Amino acid sequence: MLNIAKKSVHAISFIMLYLLSGCSSVPQLESNAKAPIIKLPKDNQRLGVMSAYSDPWEGFNRRVYYFNAMADEYVILPVVVGYKKITPDIVEKGISNFFNNLSEISTFINSLLQVKMLVAGETLTRFVLNSTIGLAGFFDVASQAGLREQNEDFGQTLGFWGVDAGPYLVLPLLGPSSLRDATGVAFDALTYQQAIEQLGMSTDEELMLTIMDSIDTRAKLPFRYYSSGSAFEYDQLKLLYKKYREIQVAR
Amino acid sequence: MRILSVLLMLIISACSSQPEQEVVTVSADCDIQYSRYQATVTGYCQEAAADLPQTLDIINKRITIKPLADIPEVFWFNKKMKYSLIKQENSAPLIFIIAGTGASFDSAKMVSLQKSFYQQGFHVISLSSPTFANYIVNSTNLTYMPGDLAHDAEDLYKVMKLVWAQVQQENEVEATSFSLTGYSLGGAHSAFVSLLDEEEQVFNFEKVLMINPPVSLYNSVSILDEFFDLRKNRQASIGMFDEIIARFSKVYSQQRSSKFDQSSIYSLFKNVELSDEELKLIIGASFRISSSNMFFALDTSFNAGAITYKNHKIDKFESTTHSMQRASAITFGDYFDKAMLPRAQRQDASTTKADLIHRYSLYAIEDYLKSSKKIFLVTNQDDIILQSSEVDYLQSIFSERAKIFPRGGHCGNLDRFSFVEHLHTLFEKASD
Repeated sequence: MLNIAKKSVHAISFIMLYLLSGCSSVPQLESNAKAPIIKLPKDNQRLGVMSAYSDPWEGFNRRVYYFNAMADEYVILPVVVGYKKITPDIVEKGISNFFNNLSEISTFINSLLQVKMLVAGETLTRFVLNSTIGLAGFFDVASQAGLREQNEDFGQTLGFWGVDAGPYLVLPLLGPSSLRDATGVAFDALTYQQAIEQLGMSTDEELMLTIMDSIDTRAKLPFRYYSSGSAFEYDQLKLLYKKYREIQVAR
Repeated sequence: MRILSVLLMLIISACSSQPEQEVVTVSADCDIQYSRYQATVTGYCQEAAADLPQTLDIINKRITIKPLADIPEVFWFNKKMKYSLIKQENSAPLIFIIAGTGASFDSAKMVSLQKSFYQQGFHVISLSSPTFANYIVNSTNLTYMPGDLAHDAEDLYKVMKLVWAQVQQENEVEATSFSLTGYSLGGAHSAFVSLLDEEEQVFNFEKVLMINPPVSLYNSVSILDEFFDLRKNRQASIGMFDEIIARFSKVYSQQRSSKFDQSSIYSLFKNVELSDEELKLIIGASFRISSSNMFFALDTSFNAGAITYKNHKIDKFESTTHSMQRASAITFGDYFDKAMLPRAQRQDASTTKADLIHRYSLYAIEDYLKSSKKIFLVTNQDDIILQSSEVDYLQSIFSERAKIFPRGGHCGNLDRFSFVEHLHTLFEKASD
């Protein structure tokens, strides 16, 4: 399973590098097209947050964003809706807790890597409590005991040590990211994979688990592509993502 | 990802176009310092929440209003108009709700109203505002820009008839009577639609409720434009914006958990201690974002060429960032002068700016509002989109049909106890 993961990471990086350089998002103007009446503000800095983040891979990103919106509507959401329909709420909650518990491993490692000992300690305690008394994580007893859930990932770790976010990057299916955070995602996925290996499951079972995890993640996210109806959603989400990560890294 | 919703709420607050997100629904009280701006941003959380249903069985619907091929490719995701239906089991009175400026049928304010009216026993049909991008690009009206209330009403009426036919056919909805409401701009729309219905008599609305409407659309947007002052004070506004984000970031980093839930949002706001100026900036920024969305939809549908290239078909992968930046450089007032007024003058060259401002206001139907016994008003004394003389004006026009709460800002109390109680009393009388 680890090998497959590694190989696909390689393949995906290759395809992405190829695509990143190839796509354009510049308007192809007709001969009778007229420039907009409202001029582009000369000093882009004056736009503040609106232009704070450059987007050298915009052509690629917009295409992936479109692909993601389509995949979400026609494949992922129907599966999520089906899952929610057939699963009793209490089971859904349990499954969600189970995956949350697994993700504490990555939070733990990353808080150690950022020398956040309090966070690491709290996360470890949560993991131990929930894995034992919480029956392999199906019950979140730690939260009831007042231990808060934390959120640290390798992207944040890199940010903590001063690695710049790099260009904005929309990942297939996963959505908004950056060069740094995408690297983080790959690292966290490998850690997660290692943890799963310890459960001693067959490849099929691991695949099932990964699929369940993805469904659960999507089910928890209230976001719907284009429910804003706005043609600027791509830009707005980019801004939100960038700010969100800055705030998280600063934490 | 929770914080995404929170940031959305910060940046796109009040009566804006974002869909209902779990964190936006407010159930706990707060101990934030009250101001009319605070109530507009976080809701009037100093008052207890009404006891509303937690969830609703919402049927999301789509309807073809015009040939889909006529909709610009850049709006591929907006092909068909979206609306929602919440159905009672048996035949029941039906209410249409119209969203506020730039807002969709499923905005947080809409959801609050849906819950109230469903609880009250209504079938509920929720429509986006004629200023919402999905509505604009699906509308058959390419003559008048939205905001022109009487023409908006004609268009809305057409949509309502089509939607009513569709829910009868597809969802077997049986209505015993019809009512109509809307908040903010949707409130003003309700009155104009009601007037039209007096002639057409398709629905014969039993009751029409205007919730926090503007008196003059132009006055109200001028107030909001000033909150994020681009002309006189651009640098200061942008600086303040960065400062607000930095403060939220700091308070968030001191919070014990990285998780976000409903009560932590209140504590976040409490600890960030926003001044009125800062709250106004957030409201202004949110208004600018929703008006940018609107400008773009109008520009492409009307081929207006204000922030997009005229005579140019925008490809679905094409960058629209430049249009967003252009849009962010203008106020609503600018767009009114540069796009809306010329458009109206194309229909009638003698139209002056003052004429158009009048058409965009309740003054245009004052006699009807005074005399019609079916139209009711509910608003707040400290609604930020009203000048104090306008509150007095509303009181004098509607007299005993007006309910003016002392507090709540603009639409800040739609899910609060006394507001919901008022709706219940008002509509109980209707169904007797």
